[in-house]
Amino acid sequence: MAPRQSTPPAVLACGEIRTCLLPARQALDIRSAAQLLGLRADERVLLSERPGLYARSPETLTGVDCPLPSANGARVRAVGTVTAHAALTEGRVLQTSAYCRVPGTGPDQRRPWGEYLVRPGVVEPLGKLPHEAVAQGVLGGPRHGDLDVGLIADGLLTRVLRHPLLDQRPPFRSRPTRLRWAALPAAPGEGPSLERFTLAEDELRTVRLRVPEGTTGAELAALCDDLALHDWLLTTVVRMLDGLRLGAGAAQDAGTVVRTLRPAVDHLLHLWMPGARVGRELAALWDPLEERPGFTRQWQALVQRIRDQLTLHAIPAAHREVEPAP
Amino acid sequence: MTEPVFRETAAEPRTQSVPLAHLSVELGHLYMEDFEAGPERLRAHFAEVRPWVEAARTAATARAGGKRPRISTCFLIDDYFTRFSTPAEVVPMLLAEAERAGLTVDYLARESGCAVTGKVPVAEAVAARIVESPPPGSYGLRPPAAQTGWLANGERSPVARAPQAMKRAAPWQPPHETAARRHSVFLDVELWSDDADGQRLWSCPFLAAVWQLARLGLLRNEGEAVLAPQPHTAGGFPDKWDELPTLLKLNERADPFAAYRTCSVLPTRFLPVEHAVRVILDQIEVDPGALAQVADRSGKERMAVPDSVADRISYVYYSGP
Repeated sequence: MAPRQSTPPAVLACGEIRTCLLPARQALDIRSAAQLLGLRADERVLLSERPGLYARSPETLTGVDCPLPSANGARVRAVGTVTAHAALTEGRVLQTSAYCRVPGTGPDQRRPWGEYLVRPGVVEPLGKLPHEAVAQGVLGGPRHGDLDVGLIADGLLTRVLRHPLLDQRPPFRSRPTRLRWAALPAAPGEGPSLERFTLAEDELRTVRLRVPEGTTGAELAALCDDLALHDWLLTTVVRMLDGLRLGAGAAQDAGTVVRTLRPAVDHLLHLWMPGARVGRELAALWDPLEERPGFTRQWQALVQRIRDQLTLHAIPAAHREVEPAP
Repeated sequence: MTEPVFRETAAEPRTQSVPLAHLSVELGHLYMEDFEAGPERLRAHFAEVRPWVEAARTAATARAGGKRPRISTCFLIDDYFTRFSTPAEVVPMLLAEAERAGLTVDYLARESGCAVTGKVPVAEAVAARIVESPPPGSYGLRPPAAQTGWLANGERSPVARAPQAMKRAAPWQPPHETAARRHSVFLDVELWSDDADGQRLWSCPFLAAVWQLARLGLLRNEGEAVLAPQPHTAGGFPDKWDELPTLLKLNERADPFAAYRTCSVLPTRFLPVEHAVRVILDQIEVDPGALAQVADRSGKERMAVPDSVADRISYVYYSGP
């Protein structure tokens, strides 16, 4: 009888995350969040109150049997399950995250399905995996018919968004973002590293990582969920300020500015906590992003700007005859 | 790795562990028609079962490397599909006939406990853990079949459309078993049916699959064990089935109810049902915490347990009614 440890270690982990504003007028409290994310009757929603309200659904599995995307055109068939969960931060930002790990080699033939189910979140190649080419293929986007974990994240998002707790009246307009990630093994003895974070068109971000053997899919997903959340916050607040004609001088501007910026204060400014839910080792991968371009630096500048604008518009118009340039 | 200073219990998964034997032997199912056939039917059944229980014991001893294996026996009474007689009448008769054949029933279970136990909707929870085996070409779109209440071991035949005038009807396409070796043995299992009032009736194979998971110690509800055996304290047995615990421990000195493997001794007529049970078990993602506990403890005991849950169950079929 083959023992469970027979699966060779994963040489590739990949996933995709959808991040969006919860379409509800009021942010959900922790109990409603547990209801929203109760995807299974027999499993608890994980709830956390420090350092902020955070709820995460049980993991769900989706079976796949298809070629893996690859940059060199190799069509390696793989079989297994993709893990997905949904999470809600401060009752306001909804994320769905789908991911899987892929071992370097697999059997020549598909196994009985029950053997895949005892290794949740593992997609096993038939034969040998060209992992560098597949990682590149994953980040480049799958061709039709190739494994598409983004579809699984989409499917879960659609399911959660249909929940009757949501009144479909978000407090402001925003756009969802997608973050696609792939992690390859680090060189022996090396720690984890973030090789590339790319802002692509169409709200798509890609992240390429190197991690030591033994890093779990769940740890990686936690890091990438965190990156996706903060990237969405930056993207959303930048866009909020972008649409404003500041300093134009018209008297009716004041109302518009306050109306546009207020949701940021109500719903977003307190959410910035990079690395808060990431394991210590992987949390260090925030450092290069903080150095350049400086995610937190940009966030603080945005927050300061919003506060300045709101302060300025709190001053009665009579005293504001000379409008400052933005 | 150092332990974190701050912890939140609600933010961490937890799974209660259950005691585990090496083997759970099922001495039989009792349906209304068996009961109506009188004590002779049970007598004949237990007489057929006896040698196979011995054989199962011998095999388990060999697997345990000659040490005394922990083996428990159980018996399932159907009180879900048909309600008949009373526990006060049925149970003593059942136990007497088992004893006459030299068998001991350690645990007695009611089939309705596999549907709902206490307030836990066990069957519904297990149904929500079905992860369908993907046919080749599944790349991430969720299979739409999940809601129909049927589960197959492969791809169904395409639905035949009425032929249009002047066009030839599409030829019949066969179904295909995903794990087929050259030729298919296609099976499509009905998991439940809903009556006019929306009341759900679970199918016999589905409840039998839940029963197997319970015997394998793999059922959990929010991390807590489901179908925990209740001790038999009162002198007799109640007059209503609902007053009988869903899982009753009759033998105080019995080994644990749940086990690494199960073996069921049944008449051959159960074969289609049990084939369906395998098809279902092969597509259920059981609680990973429970699965890890079994792997961990069997590893420490050096008892090999098959990876796949469906491979942990075995049967002996005897010819007979």
